[in-house]
Amino acid sequence: MTIPAPGPEGGNTASGAERLAPHYRTFKHMLDARGILFSFSGYLSEGILYSLGDTLRQKMTLDDTDVTTIKKVFSVFIEQAQNIIRYSAEKVLGTVGKNVELSSGMVIIGTENGKFFIVCANTILEEDVPRLRQRLELLQKMDKDEIKAYYKEQLREAPEEKSRGATIGLIEIARRASEPIEFDFERIESDKFFFCLKVSI
Amino acid sequence: MENLMIAATERSPEVEFDFAAGRLSLKGESYPEDASTVFGPIFAALERFLEQVEGRDVRFDFNLIYFNSSSAKALMNMFQLLDGAAERGVKIEVNWFYAPDDETMQEFGEDFSEDLEHVTFNLVATGD
Repeated sequence: MTIPAPGPEGGNTASGAERLAPHYRTFKHMLDARGILFSFSGYLSEGILYSLGDTLRQKMTLDDTDVTTIKKVFSVFIEQAQNIIRYSAEKVLGTVGKNVELSSGMVIIGTENGKFFIVCANTILEEDVPRLRQRLELLQKMDKDEIKAYYKEQLREAPEEKSRGATIGLIEIARRASEPIEFDFERIESDKFFFCLKVSI
Repeated sequence: MENLMIAATERSPEVEFDFAAGRLSLKGESYPEDASTVFGPIFAALERFLEQVEGRDVRFDFNLIYFNSSSAKALMNMFQLLDGAAERGVKIEVNWFYAPDDETMQEFGEDFSEDLEHVTFNLVATGD
């Protein structure tokens, strides 16, 4: 068997396949070109949430971002990531020494037009779509003062059944946003939708 | 009543409830997976303390850097509990500390204080 000698810039790849470095460089370039600082896609855990959040704060601090902006971006990131962990329709459960619940989704943080943006995406069940859409549409129409008043009102309320705190979490997200929140749903299976939420700060 | 001392974790605050001295403190960050697991025992201890505290002054220091929305709800419950006790005659002073450049924590302090009628609430900007 002859192992092909690597070219001046090349590495070893199976013949015929696209070379490894250009392949992933293209992928990375695509993310960079969109201003993405961090992106995570896959099974999310509270441990990943902590580590990503910590690194995000460090990066923003090193970039001399002001404290209030760091707080806002961090807060939206945490609420979005915890929403994925709680509500993603794509989960694996089991015992690996302890009980483990992993939820699949995507979190992206980047900058565009001088602002930070945070996008989260995950699969949700069709039955959960109308209520979520209704909540988000309500928040989208509110101005800053209305959102603040709504937050305070919900803070005093007992949590809605089955919501595990989503109402207040979404209001917190809308409250930190500097522009109206954007969201979208796309049907991917007969009973499932792909849900996206974008927040600019 | 036995003191409640809980060390901070990566995502939960340090709790120092010195009941004998009437000095209570929450410090750090709070964004646990399940806020009720973290705040349940804190709330229960506080409730028991406030039932038997009569005649003593209570000081509660909040020195929080960040908390998520479900922790905010738990804090609101705690303030309602404190205000109820203050209404019954317990003298309660709350100090809400925030870094001077941290508008978010300052605003949270203002939000919570608006709901308190009987507790003495001080918003305190900490030194840089």
